[in-house]
Amino acid sequence: MNPVGVVTQVNGREIARSVPARMTLVEFLRDELGLTGTKVSCELQVCGVCTVLVDRKPVSSCAFLAVDIDGREVTTIEGVASDGKLHPIQQAFIDHFALQCGFCTPGFVMMAVALLEEVPQPTPEQVVSYLEGNICRCTGYRSILEAVLDAADRLERASP
Amino acid sequence: MSVLPSFEHLRPADLHEALDAISFDDPVYAGGTELLLAMRSGLLRPSSLIDIKRIPELDRIGQEDDDVVIGGTVSHAAATADPVVLSAAPVLPKVLAHVGNPRVRAFGTLGGNLCFAEPKSDVATILISLSADVELASKNGRRRLPVEDFIIGPYTTARNEGEILVSILIPPTADPMVYEKFQTMERPTVGVAARLLEDGSLRVVVGAVGGAPEPFDFSSVHEVNSGHIADRVEVIPDLTGSERYKRHVTRVVLGRTLAQLEGLA
Amino acid sequence: MSVGNSVPSVDARVKTTGEARYALDAAVPGMLFADIVRSTRAHATILDIDPSEALTTPGVSAVITAADLDGLFPRFGHIIADHPILAIDRVRYYGEPVALVLADNRYAAADAADLVRVRYADLPVVIEPEEALAAEAPLLHDEDYSLGDRSFSEAQSARPATNVAHEAMLQWGDVESALEGAHVVVETTTRYPMLYAYAMEPYNAIASYDEGELDVISTAQHPFQVREDLARIFSLPLNGVRVRSPLLGGGYGSKSYTKVEPLAAVGAWISGRPVKVALDVEGAIHTTRADSALIWVRSGFDDKGTIVAREFDITLNTGAYADNGTLVLTKCVHRCFGPYNIPNLRASGRAVYTNTVPSSSYRGFGAPQGNLAGEVNMDQAAERLGIDAAELRRRNLVGPGERHIPGKRAMDADLRADLEMVVKGLGWGGRPTANHGIGFGCSASDAGAFPVSTAQVRLFADGSALVLTGSTEMGQGSRTVLGQIAATELGISVDRIRVKQSDTSLTPYERTTGASRTTTLTGLAVQRACRDALAKLVEMGAEVLDRDVEEVKTAEGDVVAGPDSRASYEEVVQAWFGGRQGEVTGVGIVRRAGELAELPPFWEIGMVGVDVEVDPQTGVVTVHHLVTVGDVGYAINPAMVEGQDLGAATQGLGAALSEELIYDGPQLVNPNMVEYRVPRMGDMPARIDTFIAERGDGVGPFGAKGGGEGSLNPVGGAVASAIARATGRWPTRLPLNSSAVWELLNPPDEA
Repeated sequence: MNPVGVVTQVNGREIARSVPARMTLVEFLRDELGLTGTKVSCELQVCGVCTVLVDRKPVSSCAFLAVDIDGREVTTIEGVASDGKLHPIQQAFIDHFALQCGFCTPGFVMMAVALLEEVPQPTPEQVVSYLEGNICRCTGYRSILEAVLDAADRLERASP
Repeated sequence: MSVLPSFEHLRPADLHEALDAISFDDPVYAGGTELLLAMRSGLLRPSSLIDIKRIPELDRIGQEDDDVVIGGTVSHAAATADPVVLSAAPVLPKVLAHVGNPRVRAFGTLGGNLCFAEPKSDVATILISLSADVELASKNGRRRLPVEDFIIGPYTTARNEGEILVSILIPPTADPMVYEKFQTMERPTVGVAARLLEDGSLRVVVGAVGGAPEPFDFSSVHEVNSGHIADRVEVIPDLTGSERYKRHVTRVVLGRTLAQLEGLA
Repeated sequence: MSVGNSVPSVDARVKTTGEARYALDAAVPGMLFADIVRSTRAHATILDIDPSEALTTPGVSAVITAADLDGLFPRFGHIIADHPILAIDRVRYYGEPVALVLADNRYAAADAADLVRVRYADLPVVIEPEEALAAEAPLLHDEDYSLGDRSFSEAQSARPATNVAHEAMLQWGDVESALEGAHVVVETTTRYPMLYAYAMEPYNAIASYDEGELDVISTAQHPFQVREDLARIFSLPLNGVRVRSPLLGGGYGSKSYTKVEPLAAVGAWISGRPVKVALDVEGAIHTTRADSALIWVRSGFDDKGTIVAREFDITLNTGAYADNGTLVLTKCVHRCFGPYNIPNLRASGRAVYTNTVPSSSYRGFGAPQGNLAGEVNMDQAAERLGIDAAELRRRNLVGPGERHIPGKRAMDADLRADLEMVVKGLGWGGRPTANHGIGFGCSASDAGAFPVSTAQVRLFADGSALVLTGSTEMGQGSRTVLGQIAATELGISVDRIRVKQSDTSLTPYERTTGASRTTTLTGLAVQRACRDALAKLVEMGAEVLDRDVEEVKTAEGDVVAGPDSRASYEEVVQAWFGGRQGEVTGVGIVRRAGELAELPPFWEIGMVGVDVEVDPQTGVVTVHHLVTVGDVGYAINPAMVEGQDLGAATQGLGAALSEELIYDGPQLVNPNMVEYRVPRMGDMPARIDTFIAERGDGVGPFGAKGGGEGSLNPVGGAVASAIARATGRWPTRLPLNSSAVWELLNPPDEA
């Protein structure tokens, strides 16, 4: 099958590659770029662990073709912290014990980034509604909800 | 990890090129939120995907004559956020805001949803209640038909080989409308749309519980009989329940929908 | 002191940044990707396997079948080695691995796997134990596979020439006479669903076979147990097999024992290249599930509600191969009747081979199945006796120091006090409101498994320390908790300690990571290793400070021999070895001796309650309030105890309300996460109380004992009884999803 050219930005880095059409975005990130922070689980876009942002919108990278990031910007979990400093969402997840095995955490963090960009001060109901499509099998979710709400407060306090 | 089967990716620059490329075996590809899953599970093995989502004319929302026009590749999220859609059909954004999850809404399209004709869906049901049409383009021209006639059955539409759904057309309405669904799993068990028209007549559309949404028309609110609808509607038993249960829940949701509509009227 | 504080997880940071490495993330240069050809029949003779077309796929290097395993021991299984690496002549369940395809990339492997042609001759299929136990049922296994591991001595051998994989029985007293004299006898039959643990990282392994040494990185909870299976397959000494388990993306018992490691290993052995096997969720579901159970119980009470006898009959659907199902049955038999004083008991059960996915451990194993029957039966008895359900339990719960199973450890918990925390927390006894119901339940599990743990502590010349243990980190927080124990014992800050885990060639032996044992048993081994290191340091310090050993002790990171004679650890190490060199190694050993001579090492308590509301129109159940009690003796990390309890209870709510693998004919209809519904954020109870009971009554470090499974075990029964109280109808099976509840309230014959 003919490979397709892809020119993209991943976490701010210009990348040009030739990929088979059948390659999904999560395979591109993990196999081609070695960005293994993005996990893969259900492969039916219901668990959310493979969430990344494409042009700042959340997407299940297991159900998204690598060819479709051509000309677009991708942000993965590796691109959330800057200069070694954790994003307030990441810090809130640590402080609230909002993870155990951690396999779902990158997906939850990416979803939380997307949510708080769209709705900076969400109600608990809005958080639940937005994160309903992400599965965590370890925590029982309470700590994740608390972390996201707390992160929203931290971000508000940090913004001028 | 599983993989997608092999295929060619074709990205026509405009609708004309797309119509040249399309064939029955090579499906149109937009959001991919249904298509890629069907391919991953082995249900579909197309030799090519015709990627239409970079065709500018398909990705717009506007007004044409009296209708709101939602392009064939407009995502649920874009339609939800659009002021034109909100003012012309306020019920629609409310429904779209609860389709799938935010990732599906960000890239999944209304047009794709209709063309895939997954029975357990909200989109066709609400569009039928809005008396929406679809416009289909082929090399021979364009045609327009009601969504109600477009959705034929489970995974089956009136789209002919060589046709692309280019837009969804919705006549603006201020009619009182309610959409209520019952959902315990990933997709709705039953969704009911009810609309009180200006002349006092009532249109009820029941979706998700059978093979395709079914409209029921009544000349007035007083004629509506939830039990009658629930007894007549097609019900397909599945993991969410037996036919008996799903018929019962349909009746319950109908009752809740109509009660809400009464509150609005 | 580090212990007792909610120290943030030491691996939390890398887990939020994506730097955390799981087995799935491992890659070895030159590795081949494997795909698995799975059986499309539930029970069939394999006539032939034709790989010729598959082998023409570009990039494919091999198609391996059982015929290629000549010279190897072709099966695995830690109790009964009945599980073929690749099906040998016969398939016993739909989805069983038949062939392994190796290729340069995952696409070629998958494409080629579709092209392997397998011809079958169908055999009769049995899906339900009832069918498998019928006289004319086909026999699934006709060989004797038993290995006779002494630590599994509770396992009784199977009955030959039947599909009974394993039987277990526990009894004392005279049940029949006691029931004859009982004031009330209550009978209950329940069905517990077939479950999938859904550890979010599906099973995967990467193996390389090089210079006679086999190196495997995998998702194994118990790398040392996997090592034994692999050593037997390849006739290698234990030092010729290295199994490493990095961070696991969930385990919950489902990654206990050997899964895909032999597939990767035989791939590497045949191809001479590293081989990666990474399953998808559907493949994982077709690897291991949890036992479904049909349990009958009858209990007799006197007129004051005192139990006079209980009798249980248990049938588990253990699937096509034994895996850990034998132990699940044994545990179910020991856990079904609850922590009550029962003068006369008979609990017997059988695990039955069927043509379904093999079942094995899953959080609480055996306990949730048995507890549903036992506790619903208690609640029905309370109703029949006209005694408050909490009061009925108070009258029968075993007291601290009392022995409710002859020959087992006396109860190391105050169950009545735990029960009060739950019923008070729930407001039990208040005025009932329409469609609302409260339910609660008690359990005690013989946890900890067989006590064998070893650990090492290496104290370096800069005063930092490395803790080495074969216990696996799968999210439960062992890396943090074991570090806290070491920090406290060594008297140094927790951030000067690193915990390295689960590398069979470099970390010391650990039997398993399961049965809620790590904090208690591995913790004891770490504690002893620290003390051993400090004893050596004291001897070295005496020499360095020129004092008698008796005068020297350690305090807060220093070796002290008096007010003016003091040296830091690093000073002692450096001075003793000379220069800036050297280290002190402490060894800690835990075995079945001394205070651990009695089994179980500890009783794991489950004490939970729920307040639910039922929508009688739709059958939807909403859990408004959840209460858990973590009776852990001493909470080394309280936030992690609460996290374990809420996580366990949430999995229990999944089983109670929505989760079930469903067979329709020979295959599963819902082997995916769309149709197998696990709890989501929106299912979270509005109010959650995760209480901790600390009474210092555990055998582990600082009086701790294990948790993490207990809060799952009674959830099913609690939910069922709550729904019964809300609706007036007793459910007899889980899950109680909306349609099941509505059908319960509206049976067809009443329509």
